[in-house]
Amino acid sequence: MGVKDVLMPPRSAYVHIPFCHRRCFYCDFAVVPLGDRARGSVGPGSSSINAYLKLLHKEVSLCPYGPPLATVYLGGGTPSLLTPQQISSLLENLRNHFGFQQGAEVTLEMDPASFDREYLQKVLEIGINRVSLGGQSFDDTVLAGLGRRHTHQHLINACRWLNNAKVRGDLVSWNLDLLQGLPGQDLSSWINQLEQALETRAPHLSIYELSIESGTVFEWKQKRGELFLPDEELASEMMILTSELLRKAGFSHYEISNYAIPGHASRHNRVYWSGAGWWGFGLGATSSPWGQRFARPRTRNSYDQWIKSQEYNGLESSLISSLAKELSLEDQILIGLRRKEGVNLIALSESWGWNNEESASFLELLKIRWKSAFEKGWIQQKGRRFFLSDPRGMMISNQVLIEVIRWWESLPLDAVDLSSREVLPRKVLSHLVGED
Amino acid sequence: MTDVPVSRLRNFCIIAHIDHGKSTLADRLLQETGTVAVREMQEQYLDNMDLERERGITIKLQAARMNYLAADNHQYVLNLIDTPGHVDFSYEVSRSLQACEGALLVVDASQGVEAQTLANVYLALENDLEIIPVLNKVDLPGADPERIKEEIESIIGLDTSEAILCSAKTGLGIKEILQSVVNKIPPPKDEINEPTKALIFDSYYDPYRGVIVYFRIMSGSISIKDKVLLMASQKSYELDEIGIMSPNQSRVSELHSGEVGYIAASIKAVADARVGDTITLLNRPASKPLPGYKEAKPMVFCGLFPTDADQYPDLRDALDKLQLSDAALKYEPETSSAMGFGFRCGFLGLLHMEIVQERLEREYDLDLIVTAPSVVYKVNMINKETIMIDNPSLLPDPQKRDSIEEPYVRIEIYAPNQYNGTLMGLCQERRGEYIDMKYITTDRVTLIYEIPLAEVVTNFFDQMKSRTQGYASMEYHLIGYKANDLVRLDVLINSERADPLTTIVHRDNSYSVGKGLVEKLKELIPRQQFKIPIQASIGSRIIASESISAMRKDVLAKCYGGDISRKKKLLKKQAKGKKRMKAMGKVEVPQDAFMAVLKLN
Repeated sequence: MGVKDVLMPPRSAYVHIPFCHRRCFYCDFAVVPLGDRARGSVGPGSSSINAYLKLLHKEVSLCPYGPPLATVYLGGGTPSLLTPQQISSLLENLRNHFGFQQGAEVTLEMDPASFDREYLQKVLEIGINRVSLGGQSFDDTVLAGLGRRHTHQHLINACRWLNNAKVRGDLVSWNLDLLQGLPGQDLSSWINQLEQALETRAPHLSIYELSIESGTVFEWKQKRGELFLPDEELASEMMILTSELLRKAGFSHYEISNYAIPGHASRHNRVYWSGAGWWGFGLGATSSPWGQRFARPRTRNSYDQWIKSQEYNGLESSLISSLAKELSLEDQILIGLRRKEGVNLIALSESWGWNNEESASFLELLKIRWKSAFEKGWIQQKGRRFFLSDPRGMMISNQVLIEVIRWWESLPLDAVDLSSREVLPRKVLSHLVGED
Repeated sequence: MTDVPVSRLRNFCIIAHIDHGKSTLADRLLQETGTVAVREMQEQYLDNMDLERERGITIKLQAARMNYLAADNHQYVLNLIDTPGHVDFSYEVSRSLQACEGALLVVDASQGVEAQTLANVYLALENDLEIIPVLNKVDLPGADPERIKEEIESIIGLDTSEAILCSAKTGLGIKEILQSVVNKIPPPKDEINEPTKALIFDSYYDPYRGVIVYFRIMSGSISIKDKVLLMASQKSYELDEIGIMSPNQSRVSELHSGEVGYIAASIKAVADARVGDTITLLNRPASKPLPGYKEAKPMVFCGLFPTDADQYPDLRDALDKLQLSDAALKYEPETSSAMGFGFRCGFLGLLHMEIVQERLEREYDLDLIVTAPSVVYKVNMINKETIMIDNPSLLPDPQKRDSIEEPYVRIEIYAPNQYNGTLMGLCQERRGEYIDMKYITTDRVTLIYEIPLAEVVTNFFDQMKSRTQGYASMEYHLIGYKANDLVRLDVLINSERADPLTTIVHRDNSYSVGKGLVEKLKELIPRQQFKIPIQASIGSRIIASESISAMRKDVLAKCYGGDISRKKKLLKKQAKGKKRMKAMGKVEVPQDAFMAVLKLN
């Protein structure tokens, strides 16, 4: 009996819908812009969408079977470009293939300018019970500067409909995305943004700091000296302020970029930070059902080719359970530390396969590397759990994570690659998939 | 090898500027004489080290023996002795020239004579070598052989009426070159009956056979049965092997006066068989060695420290091993409160320093901090003592010293005349004293300056190249010491003195250097978890200061399923950068900060 027999099979699925009206100025995702008039079933872009959906359905049908799904996430791109019928048939296909657990979390990412009240009502009727709204900003000038299509009014309307749906009980939860550290932003304008966000009564807020990615309009502007971003001092004050303000409003800072009213943390996203596996479908989507991550091709043609090769030459190996490879202890610590509760190092290293002496001596080495982070209070310990302090530790998390990488590189080979040992450790991942 | 009489031996070398096509020409000669079959041809056969091939320069010389059927229908043996093409290695060049009777002077038919070439031509003329001018790359569109011929005649005074036009690339002129080597270069003198004297012109370390010594027999003979004596090191050896390079080593039983070959004799380090030393026979030794032997004298010094203190023993072992094959490399342990344990190393010049550093990192997998290069200062103390200082941080306090002298070089720069102004500006900035300016042709000049060596080793060469779009070339040699008003400039990082950043500068420049240095360091040292003051001081007086504010934020925002791998890559890159930093007190200092003084404008 090896690792593969005790790894937990994935109970989550991510589906990528790459279509957008336009590419936003900061975005480097795998997206396919179709123009402002694009529609899901008829009209401009619909043939592209239909052709893509065919491939997507094909990919789902080629996937190995697994237990019923606890979370499904339709992300993008702009999934709300699809018609409710198109979304419904995707969900139907997933339901037929895997089944859905009772009370499964089914999230749809929505763009404020791409739907109305009826549309929302329809997608709720076909099984969507969580929405993630790409608000980004409440300021019309800022939105235009980001290359977004929606306006302040679109966003306010969308938030009102979502809140009403939640109050009625048609929607279980919803999230609002906000971008921090935008060009020209100062402390008071940021406070104003946060206050407006709180007024929407969204029970979940994702606050991302803008990062300049290669190949984007923003990168080009930055190179030409036309992008005036807040300096580090200001940006760090914004982070501290965000954490304080939202805590007072009853939110838990449960992951570096995510805040939720208790009970509203995204179950799907927690899977990514827990080390458990997930299925992935669609162009550019990453899957990691059995420990190994695999990213699909990012263009339509190469994705098409890849689906064909899946069909005729056999499945990508990371999708096959018998080739399971567990997530390295290093990765589990790196992603686990993003969470409020941090990591239980002893439990993780035991399940990784180290014996007691090894755990004790190797972990001691890590603590030595974390010495100054402890002194500064960036990292803290409660019982067996190690976690980043909020907000200072989280804000400077890279400094802590880098030491994990350096520690891992300094360990003996048979400590980091257990396959070089004669007896393989047995491990159970179940304790990692802890529910909220 | 007695099958060819001395009268049919020819020993020659190639003198050329970097890039003028020496190695390609050598390859062609090997091909043409059938010494190396075309299929075995590696590009640039004579340059053995990877580093040489990558940089396109010859560092260690090699040799090759070719058999050539000349126009008179006789078999000739032609020994090509390769020479290194860089100013750092001029002593080695002089020894290999001494091993020859003639030289091919290879000049690029569009670029003309360069400083380095000229220096070597003069060396060759001093050694009485027959020089055959060859104009290379005549196939290129910019080639102007007539103009270059004129240039050679007016600069060197060499008759170019029979200069050979050649293209090593296309093969044009290769046969003529071989024939004129036979016709023009005299055979070695036949001194077979004299006591044996063989000149070592190269040696390298082979981990299995010990040092392999390349030599030219000037008189007498050496056989495999002989016991040899090396006259400078006074060590004697029994021979394991004697042979020729064709160009791969092949064994013979005996070599005679005039011939070029190699021996292996379980010699432990190249320092025991130095270039320029004389090999003689133990039972019939020569009365005195060949002239011209010199100890290698390092001119440039720097500190080498492992970034990770645990690598200190590895660094020591690596230096020990490198020294087996590099007699010019000198080192001794250095301890610095800021840097921990390391070594103070001496090199022939900057290139030599870079090569050693690169070999340590590449071949021995070490992460090193290299401090800015320094020269040897002569310090006259109040108590009449004189001490030599190769490490600026060890300069005695002003109260104890009377004066400081620094080494000066005479530098000759060759460049098209439109760069006169910028080059004179550069020399002046570097405290150079104008000596002379000569027009060598109507549009090319030689500038001659006397300049402190310390100013030359701090990126003078790069500056010269960049200010002249690469058209200038230079040559320098040491002329002696001169007293100057010099001061020690210290750098304090987080209020602690950073020894490796200490420099010795002229008092008049100390403020601008100090200010530039702290500004540069502020740029090069990344923000850390606390505020870091950076100061420059002379004695206890702070002359410039800056500070690096504390890092407050370092975080990867969004991180979902698809992002995890990408984000980890970013973290790994950051971790790698950190690994290459050296902890000085609490501050992590990146490698390039130690070279900050070289990056001032």
